[in-house]
Amino acid sequence: MADLNAKPVLLHYRGWRGSLQGDGVASTFGFLAVQAALFGVAALVPSGLVRVLLLGVFLANFLFVSRSRAWPIARVALLMLFRRRLFWGLYALSITVFLCYFFGQYLMSWAQGLLGESEIRVGGVARVQPKWLLETLRDTLHFNGSPLTFRDFFWFEANTVMIALAFSGAVLIGNDFRYGSLAFYLAKPISTWHYLLGKGLAVVVFLNLFTTLPAVVLWLQFGMLESWEYFTEQSYLLLGILAYGLVLSTSLTIVLLATAAWLRATVPLIMAWMTLFVFAQAVSSALVDGLRFSPLWRLIDLWNCTYVIGNALLHADLSKIRPSPQPEVWQAALVLLGVCSACLSYLIPRVRAVEIVP
Amino acid sequence: MPELLDSASPGGRDRPVERTQAPTRPVEVAEPARSAVPAAPMMLCQRVSKWYGAIRGVLDVTLELRGGLTGLVGANGAGKTTLIRLITGQLRPDSGSVQIAGIEAHRPEARRLIGYCPDTDAFYEEMSGRAFVREMARLCGFPASEVQRRTEAVLKRVGMAERADRPIRGYSKGMRQRVKLAQALLHDPPLLVLDEPMSGIDPVGRAEFVTLFHSLANQGKCLLVSSHELDELEKLTNHVVIMSHGRIAAADTVPRIRERLVAAPLTYCLEVQRGETGLRHRELAAQLLQRVPSLRRIELSEPSEQIGRLLIQTDSPPLFLSVLQSLILEEWYEIVHLQAFDESTAAVLEYLLNCRR
Repeated sequence: MADLNAKPVLLHYRGWRGSLQGDGVASTFGFLAVQAALFGVAALVPSGLVRVLLLGVFLANFLFVSRSRAWPIARVALLMLFRRRLFWGLYALSITVFLCYFFGQYLMSWAQGLLGESEIRVGGVARVQPKWLLETLRDTLHFNGSPLTFRDFFWFEANTVMIALAFSGAVLIGNDFRYGSLAFYLAKPISTWHYLLGKGLAVVVFLNLFTTLPAVVLWLQFGMLESWEYFTEQSYLLLGILAYGLVLSTSLTIVLLATAAWLRATVPLIMAWMTLFVFAQAVSSALVDGLRFSPLWRLIDLWNCTYVIGNALLHADLSKIRPSPQPEVWQAALVLLGVCSACLSYLIPRVRAVEIVP
Repeated sequence: MPELLDSASPGGRDRPVERTQAPTRPVEVAEPARSAVPAAPMMLCQRVSKWYGAIRGVLDVTLELRGGLTGLVGANGAGKTTLIRLITGQLRPDSGSVQIAGIEAHRPEARRLIGYCPDTDAFYEEMSGRAFVREMARLCGFPASEVQRRTEAVLKRVGMAERADRPIRGYSKGMRQRVKLAQALLHDPPLLVLDEPMSGIDPVGRAEFVTLFHSLANQGKCLLVSSHELDELEKLTNHVVIMSHGRIAAADTVPRIRERLVAAPLTYCLEVQRGETGLRHRELAAQLLQRVPSLRRIELSEPSEQIGRLLIQTDSPPLFLSVLQSLILEEWYEIVHLQAFDESTAAVLEYLLNCRR
């Protein structure tokens, strides 16, 4: 029982003479500027080795993100996601695609070594010609570490990523708005930008776990299977993978933040996200492939826009894009830029207004 | 970073100043002693208004807090939560300004000075209480070692140190309140804004919270406690800000507000000792009826052979007391007990709200 007559116990902290971290906005923008400069220089240098080294520094720099004031927000958000079975289910689905490429490359490497044989047994049941197997793996499935390998990999990850992002948007941001958890964050000495940066960071980490990270692993794997020269000669591919990841991360994070801040609840958010990506893709495909409308109609599919840009970034042959015909790269970039601008123009006033009350 | 003081300070007796006049009856308030008043008040709302479209949140509110414990009371929709959100920088006023120690409330620097305990229970249910408080400490900007120390200190202080490793989803309402309070205390803020902090807490917990709030006020902190639990609020402080229809109806100690509510009805219980001629309470009742026209009600009872009891409700307490004084002196009534009811916060609040309707 509490002793009501007891002398009040005061709350003591041991003397602390440290200083609180600053609000970190300047250092955040400083960090982003350094990363952009590193990436820019890596894109411009002709030497493959220097490029790989610069990109290595670029990737290693992300470890500093853990010192950002936005990181605790991102960490909490990611922990929330990692505790959900649905996330692991979707991630397992995504990993299946990755494993398909991962072991496909091993299979191709193995088939290359057996070209002299007339027939080989695959899986203990089928007998195939090594040449046919090699052609299938290389030319049809593109398990050869070429730009098409990574382009296809990103494309196949699309559906899983879209579903995962729809759910994660509700968990990461929507619930904060809907149930009022935002009050805890905004009552702390951080700006609203920190909140958005933190949540955005969580989306970026989440998205890249599905796309860029496995793609980089595939690039490393192929280099190890092929030859060390692959790393320097095909360093532009690493640059392309990271640039593609950057385009996906930036655009999808902005769109997700805006839709989650707008819709808040899980079901409408999933519906909107599915409309944006799945329905739009089906409609654009029906219009262009079925009714032979102008390829410009594919621009309504945002994932396709990122795909077209990604092809250009990976130096893939634009004439071989599947499905075809496709709009021009600049048109896709313009649409993506427009959508992101629209989302930002919705987010910025909300951020400035600080309002959390509907 | 200010360290917590461990001695009682006169800050605990500093009181809020409210400059808005209630339309029905002006409520005067005393200025705090200027010698003890720092340059910038801990919290200052100046002519603040906030509208949600056509709906009024708060209207032309001016309020100054310099320290001590202040209760914020009002009916649902009176504007308490809006005022709290304005003070904690979650909302920007449409007009007027809200400053925390001279800094605009919506700036992050101002939020270093505020500890906010919201009324919502919107935690991340899968997290443990300890992990939640730790993340909140990180957001305050403390280095890792300090995060750990402060987390443990506040959890111990709110009585959650032993139970904080369980997921929040299994917490009772009281445990949730304790975790919310813990995160508000993390950065040792000079201003604590607590929205319904005692809601759902058991009686023992309430007593602990009351003790904690008093200790914080004695350390010189300024506490603004919003509550519907008026009985609990009375145990905590008798200094209240009463809100009604988006305005501040009164801000002062409850007795002083009551003093100024001249025409508010008040119920007195009078016990009259038996005299030589027998019980005289009927006689007193008759004389009061004759001389005090504003009497609303008189009830007579005889709880014992020696005592006659009167329960009197009057619209004009000063006149009633004056007449009673005269009667005692002139007629030699032996009054052994005189008690005024309706001086509670709840009664004052009810009266003010009724007035404003």
